Amino acid sequence: MPRPGFVLDVDERTPPLLVHEGEGFRMQKFPLGTRVVYPPDPLPGIRDVNAAIRHALVHPTGDSQPLPDLLKAGMKLTIAMDDISIPLPPMTRPDIRQRILEQVIELAARKGVEDVQIVVATALHRRMTADEIRRMVGERVFRSFWPEDLYNFDGEDKDALTLIGTTDKNEDVEISKRAAESDLLVYINVNLVAMDGGHKSVAIGLAGYRSLRHHHNVDTMMHSRSYMDPRPGHSAIADSATRMGRLIAANGLNVFQIETTLNAETFPKNLGFLNKREWEWSAYDQGLMMAARKANHLAPPRARREFYRRVEAPYRLTGINAGEVEAVHEQTLENLHRQQLVEVRGQSDVLVLGLPYISPYNVNSIMNPILVHCLGLGYLFNMYRNMPLVKPGGVVIMYHPVPWEFHQIHHPSYVDFFEEVLAETTDPSTIESKYEERYATDPWYTHLYRTSHAYHGVHPFYMWYWGAHGRDHAGDVIFVGGEPKSVARLGYRAAGSFRDALEMAKDTVGSSPSITYFHAPPIMIADVV
Amino acid sequence: MGMKSELKAMAEGFRWGRRPLVPRSAEEHAKPKIDRVFPSDWARTDAGVAARQVLLKGAMHPIVRNELTLRVFGRDNLEGVDPPLIFYSNHSSHLDATLIMCTLPDAWQAKTGVGAARDYFFDVWWRQAFTALVYGAFPIDRTRGAKGAVDKARELLSEGWSIVVFPEGTRSADGHLQRFRHGAARLALETGAGLAPIAIVGAFQAMPKGRFWPRSGRPPVTVRYGEPFWPIEGETHQDLSRRMTQAVTQLFHEERTTWWEALHRAQRGETPTLVGPQGPDWLRRWEGSRPLGRKGPAKVWE
Amino acid sequence: MALALEFYRSAPKYLGARALGSRAPGLVTAGLAPLRLVTQKDPEPKREGWARVKPRLSGICGSDLSTIAGRSSFYFSPLVSLPFVPGHEVVGELLDDAGDLVVGQRVVISSVLGCAARGEDPPCEHCAAGQVGRCDRVTVGHLKPGLQTGFCTETGGGWSRLMLAHRSQLWPVPDGMSDQTAVLIEPFACAIHATFRAEIPAGGTVLVVGAGTVGILTLIAIKALTKADHVVVAAKHQRQRAAATMAGADDVVRPEHAVKAVRRTDHAVKLTPERGMDFLLGGIDVAIECTGSSSALDLALRTTKAGGRVVVSGIPGGGADLTPLWFRELELAGAYTSGVEDLGKGVTRPTFEMAMDLASNLPMLEELVGATYPLDRWREALDHAMAAGKLGTFKVAFAPQD
Repeated sequence: MPRPGFVLDVDERTPPLLVHEGEGFRMQKFPLGTRVVYPPDPLPGIRDVNAAIRHALVHPTGDSQPLPDLLKAGMKLTIAMDDISIPLPPMTRPDIRQRILEQVIELAARKGVEDVQIVVATALHRRMTADEIRRMVGERVFRSFWPEDLYNFDGEDKDALTLIGTTDKNEDVEISKRAAESDLLVYINVNLVAMDGGHKSVAIGLAGYRSLRHHHNVDTMMHSRSYMDPRPGHSAIADSATRMGRLIAANGLNVFQIETTLNAETFPKNLGFLNKREWEWSAYDQGLMMAARKANHLAPPRARREFYRRVEAPYRLTGINAGEVEAVHEQTLENLHRQQLVEVRGQSDVLVLGLPYISPYNVNSIMNPILVHCLGLGYLFNMYRNMPLVKPGGVVIMYHPVPWEFHQIHHPSYVDFFEEVLAETTDPSTIESKYEERYATDPWYTHLYRTSHAYHGVHPFYMWYWGAHGRDHAGDVIFVGGEPKSVARLGYRAAGSFRDALEMAKDTVGSSPSITYFHAPPIMIADVV
Repeated sequence: MGMKSELKAMAEGFRWGRRPLVPRSAEEHAKPKIDRVFPSDWARTDAGVAARQVLLKGAMHPIVRNELTLRVFGRDNLEGVDPPLIFYSNHSSHLDATLIMCTLPDAWQAKTGVGAARDYFFDVWWRQAFTALVYGAFPIDRTRGAKGAVDKARELLSEGWSIVVFPEGTRSADGHLQRFRHGAARLALETGAGLAPIAIVGAFQAMPKGRFWPRSGRPPVTVRYGEPFWPIEGETHQDLSRRMTQAVTQLFHEERTTWWEALHRAQRGETPTLVGPQGPDWLRRWEGSRPLGRKGPAKVWE
Repeated sequence: MALALEFYRSAPKYLGARALGSRAPGLVTAGLAPLRLVTQKDPEPKREGWARVKPRLSGICGSDLSTIAGRSSFYFSPLVSLPFVPGHEVVGELLDDAGDLVVGQRVVISSVLGCAARGEDPPCEHCAAGQVGRCDRVTVGHLKPGLQTGFCTETGGGWSRLMLAHRSQLWPVPDGMSDQTAVLIEPFACAIHATFRAEIPAGGTVLVVGAGTVGILTLIAIKALTKADHVVVAAKHQRQRAAATMAGADDVVRPEHAVKAVRRTDHAVKLTPERGMDFLLGGIDVAIECTGSSSALDLALRTTKAGGRVVVSGIPGGGADLTPLWFRELELAGAYTSGVEDLGKGVTRPTFEMAMDLASNLPMLEELVGATYPLDRWREALDHAMAAGKLGTFKVAFAPQD
């Protein structure tokens, strides 16, 4: 019987608790009275995944025909799917997208569909490498379709984009031409966080800069409280995506949306203690933890990075729904909340976050300081509904080494953003008005985006905006164990230990603040009441 | 933090050498106690089974044969029967489990686990390790009500493992048969497993409650296996317990008299019970410890 | 055939526990404690006035822990009869009628086995006066030796599902009182008795050493029943200090700062010997030692003013330096268990009755019971009780019927 998530009150019987910090972790003894939010136990996975997929395709949700009925000989079929930023960590093979793809293609083949193209919906993320795509779609699909009919989306290929129209809020909707002109667009989604899926899949995943700038901006971010809460009115970005998605549907594009949810089994057996509550660690878990820490200390940075790169999550499927976008997404959110929602009463003065080694934008890559900011003040901070875990003006304490390190191939624009833009100012609005246009239209970045494996020139800006709400809400941000120079460039403060961080926080919240430690990963959403 | 101070913090925070504790606010979400018992499944892996064979055949069996005059009957009743079975016997001595494990036919012994009281055999790691290894033991919760008591037993049966249980729940203090608890009967009704009665005669005389080594003089002990039987459709657990008691009683009397005689008595409904005489405690103990007649060549020296 | 936790004779375990108990308390609960869970034959009341009691909650007391860890003095050996079931802080339910009390009545047990329970007629002078705790006949009469229920082989004890008690030991529990409050009545009565033994003068100053269950209950008794002017409490652990502050102590300090704190109350002179603890010339009027440790007794002796009074409330665990007792002409008084208290003007009242009265108006007392355990988890219970102060718990109790 999987137990629900709950809030622990640290007392004398509580052992030191595990806190992630980049490629590593530490055991931290928290002061008495600290609240710690724990995610629910992993839900059991669906036993017969293939049967579940089959069932979903043939029994659609919402106003939609079953997939076999939608497939006709001579039609133009496009299949799109989420890229490498999901799930995190990458799941053990076979990836769920592979399984779904194989069934969809089988159906299409049987129905005599010939014009099939498979697009990785990267939007302005980097192109996936051939190996990465092969890992995601499986050998069979890869060999059959790569490279002509299986490719990365190119958001800067003006000829391959088409303007569908403008919403009633004057938002341009420009998406992949191939997708827009298809008789059927099948989208395969993995819903790891509440922000994913729904209209976001097509309207954002297959869109170019012209569309994205309407919601990937400071104003939208400041009005998304939070963007992990897609209920109408709570997330401006979700509302925008919905408008765009509805416009696309109204324009006649038939979208068959397939969405999946995963359970919370985030870490493999050899890191099993990371999935468990600390006081339930057996002697074996404790030994494993200490061995892992020691190995981490002793390993050279390359080996450590490689170790973490190879971590695969043993995620199990908890639900799959297919059919009409909005109806499907409603089910998906229900499943997701079942696994991730934890009720928390009240906000506190201090919020503690342990940042793991992986974010959506550094898979097989390096987490540079901008991505640290995005992961902390963006993603983890926004894992709430109703209101943030920390009071307005409170202190956010995050654990991460924040190394001054950049991946030259994946994140070229980030390097310049860090060295040029942030050195001038850290205010999101100023950055937006002064620098965004230049980076977004820089031909060098565009070239690297289109031909190499680089994130688009504008992407670091989006990373910065992602944490705008968090930045604005918090009174002070302190990094424990962070490299002082990088932290300073980000505009935050660095402390050597948690005790020092609390000392520094005294100026903002006094000497005995209420503290909440958000014990994620595994991923969860705090329903703050 | 240096290595030493880290270890110190871990040792203190996780209470090494002491019992683990659950923080107060996590108590209502604590895992059920049965999980926190030291796990015993390791003893039922191939390696555990092999080690057990060595220990039983190499050490326990020779000791038993040396300290007692052991005779075994009725093992042919198990031929052709499919596992799993619930072996059960009367319980009057610490010898009982050893005797059963040493006398079970090899094929059965390799896939049998003895049920042992969780509160005694499974609360310290070394006692648990010994019990699990030598007897393939699994925990039975005898302190709470019937509910969670036999979860592990059920699990083992569903995996094809046979189990040994003592329905009296604890060793008899005077050698006589105590009232059977219904756990075993309920288990049989639930899982459909067969019940195999065993009567151990003479163990109380050889090593009663309170002693940890048999009396000198190689006291005679007989282990008698009976014919397995299955629950009947619609039988209540009380009825089944009665049948179980009857089966063991019959075996006892087979031992005391002959098979033929015991059958006849059963048929006439005249099988004397084993609950012992009514009366004061001293009398019960007196009757219970009556030495068995020695059937064998007389000792040369008296 | 009821389940019981039995203390039995085992020389190697006793010696092992005595040698290693303080250094490795984990070993005591792992295997060195001479305790075992047995299904005992149900005790039968053999005489008039005895009844079977089903314990609902039974506390673990410091004296129980020191017995199990082999730390108690050999003095006690003729005063107990092995094997016995420990547990003398009991709230239970009557299974037989006992005198005027009927089946089903909830009772607390005043555990001393005095003349009345032992059938000694005429009773010794102490029992006649109501001071059962001072009974001289605890090893004779028609019961086996045993100073209290919980140390006698014939009566059973609280750490079991069934025990025996004599009518003279039973006190009915009012319906409104929770089991948790009721299980604290026995230690509360001892604390009240210690308070009276302390003879605190009106406007006097008091030092309470230790703020575990005994210390806190003593503090509450002092505040409720005496006219002490200033009470200092020395406590090791943060939660204990917080509780002491809540219970109304005027000054709450760590033990290492206690001498300084007392010095401040009457501006005494502090002296530092070359070896040993600092001491005062001057100091507190009355000190009550509630932990049973020798360093705590040292503290009490060294901070009491000349002619003052020191009360030893917990089982003393070893020698303290008695020089200050002689030099400062102190009065050393022991406080063992409850009896009757002299309220002045010829009025006496049984301590248990006073404890019941006070406790009925203090519902928050039940918060002191920090954890309860069923009998089969006794190793965890003892482990928890041994580190209770550090773990922020006051009283750990068994709930034997679970």
